[in-house]
Amino acid sequence: MSRTLGWRAAPVFAALAALPAVPGMTDYYLLLAFDALLFGAVAMSLDLLIGYTGLVSFGHAAFFGLGAYATAILLERGILSLWASLGFAVVIVGLYALVVSYFATARRGIYFALLTLVFAEVVFTFFRYTQTFGGSDGIQGVPPPELLPGVTLDTPMRNYYLIVVYLALAWAACRVLVGSHFGKVLVAIRENEDRARFLGYNVQRYKMAACMISALLTGLGGALYPGRAAFATPDLLLWTVSGEFIIMVMIGGLGTLTGPVIGGAFFIVLQEKVSSYVDWYFIVIGAVLILIVLFMPKGLLGLRRLLGARPWRATA
Amino acid sequence: MKRVTSLALLVAVALAVFLAAPAVAQQKVVKIGDLGSKVGVFEGYGKYQSMGIQLAVEEINAKGGVLGHKIEVIAEDDDTKPAPAVRKAEKLILQDGVKLIIGAVSSGSTMAVMDVTKKYKTIHWNSVSCAEFMRTTKFHKYYFSNQPDSRQQANGLAKYILDKMGKKVYIFYTDYAMGQSDGRQFKTALERLGGEVVGVAGAPLDTKDFSPWFGAINASGADVLFLAFAGTDSLRLMTQLHSFGMTKKYKLAGIDCFLLQQDLAAIAEPMEGFVQLNHFSAYNPDPNMQAFNQKFKKKFGVDANIAAGAYDAVYFWKTAVEKAGSFDSDKVSAAHEGLCTDATHIGRQCIRTEDHQVVMDMHLYRVEKGKNIPIARIDGKDAIGAAMVGQDPLKGFTWEIKKK
Repeated sequence: MSRTLGWRAAPVFAALAALPAVPGMTDYYLLLAFDALLFGAVAMSLDLLIGYTGLVSFGHAAFFGLGAYATAILLERGILSLWASLGFAVVIVGLYALVVSYFATARRGIYFALLTLVFAEVVFTFFRYTQTFGGSDGIQGVPPPELLPGVTLDTPMRNYYLIVVYLALAWAACRVLVGSHFGKVLVAIRENEDRARFLGYNVQRYKMAACMISALLTGLGGALYPGRAAFATPDLLLWTVSGEFIIMVMIGGLGTLTGPVIGGAFFIVLQEKVSSYVDWYFIVIGAVLILIVLFMPKGLLGLRRLLGARPWRATA
Repeated sequence: MKRVTSLALLVAVALAVFLAAPAVAQQKVVKIGDLGSKVGVFEGYGKYQSMGIQLAVEEINAKGGVLGHKIEVIAEDDDTKPAPAVRKAEKLILQDGVKLIIGAVSSGSTMAVMDVTKKYKTIHWNSVSCAEFMRTTKFHKYYFSNQPDSRQQANGLAKYILDKMGKKVYIFYTDYAMGQSDGRQFKTALERLGGEVVGVAGAPLDTKDFSPWFGAINASGADVLFLAFAGTDSLRLMTQLHSFGMTKKYKLAGIDCFLLQQDLAAIAEPMEGFVQLNHFSAYNPDPNMQAFNQKFKKKFGVDANIAAGAYDAVYFWKTAVEKAGSFDSDKVSAAHEGLCTDATHIGRQCIRTEDHQVVMDMHLYRVEKGKNIPIARIDGKDAIGAAMVGQDPLKGFTWEIKKK
């Protein structure tokens, strides 16, 4: 991570940390901020694949949902430790991602997208029809997890700070990654896969690694969700959720990391606010998306260009 | 002179504003939340729920409101999914400060919202969802329901089906919380009474083509098809069953929210003879029901339906608040328990203390030329079943077909 970017991010995270102190900040807005930052972080991890490696995953909801189920399963059984939940999520999501990435990265283009979609549908169907995990109702009414024994994450404020810390760590990890030699190779693969292979790189291994890292970050985000929402349902695994993740990345700006965080937050807040005023809110959201794609192809972060700032789009 | 007139006018206006100000200031407001599906597969139920709430609130406000407060309704769409439902419920409670939430429509969403209303101690009325978990494992002290749940409906329907329609029944349900629950409870009730379930199948919510299941139904040797679907799923299913000649081949029965009365006219022929249990029909000559339908129709220009439940829920809450003399949720919850009201569309309704389920009579209806015509009245006490708070309603249940 370049020092410049690190310093640039510091005030943003400081502002996020100070957000609860803003006058008029209610518990509802903190919960909304939780969702906005959580899905922003998930979009950022998907950007590692789409924006940096050139792989479009239509199955990221499965990673998110598996993480959520991992936590919900433990919480339902009285294992309240957040760290146990995160560890369990890493194992479950990691094993699943290993299988998916192995097969999906063996194929290029649309086949990668289709394979991630098919695997995700299998996971969705499994949870939807398995009564041990609540079937179509999912696991509901789980207690909040504990950060430490006796320190329960049971308030919007505590959950908010948890997600800010997660976002900060995930962002730092992604920044380090894309700034490293590994990240440069990913971009090289995106730009010209054959040339990267010709240069001696094991392209599939790099793509698998990118897929695994993206999946684990998404799964960890999913693992934090039941602590705030008290449930994990099959809806979280549905392909439409994967589609929303892709839209978040597109809104924010591909290959920028920061853009998808903004895109995710923008999508959640837009959805929440517009749906409170009109029944046909998805038309409004659709229109906004069309406008962004037509007039801001580099996403919301592309606005920086208009303001004269240097674009962040990754290059090899 | 002109200047004096202007001055007088100004003083008069100022005086009027001054005098009116306290009156305006006294217009205290209490907010309630209307949460449900406003678009999509259950759109009809959500919109009629809103209409029922609106009618009740306008009546109450016209009579001075509740405890001197005008009621303001804040409606939210839950997208028929648990995650948005939770977010909207949190918004209603934490941001808008509602004292009551009515909703949701889909059972899955309602159960997710129950965790929110439990956490934030908010009175929660359900007048549409019918999964059996809500008054058993998910129950909490702030939750109330006047929607007959799956067990009530199954108890009311099973006997009639066995006596009048046939003993071999195929259960076809929408494969999510509500349909599964209806299927399970109906299978349990039917087998307890000596009937035979010859097959079961579930089709995903929002299925477009039901024909892949028709072969199994036709091979089952059923006399009766029990259908646990709702909304646009029901419309598509009936159209397709009819085009395959299966509406003539089998006797058909279903759950109370299978189709709204408004939808029946469009598919009157496929629905002819369909039997369902419900607590409201615009074609029921019962004076209470007609009285409610008339005022609903006068307000909205359409017949009432399941919306009657949401209307009653607002009145139950208002009565409980006045009985408690406060909006405090603990006091209002306690005031609800055992509360009875006589002047509803179905006559007397009482809130059972043990599980907060409203005990009310229901009717069996048969569809004739697109109209729900009453054929029998089911006493509420006969259908409600024992209170099972905290007990697993699935204990001992199996989908296994017991061949006779």
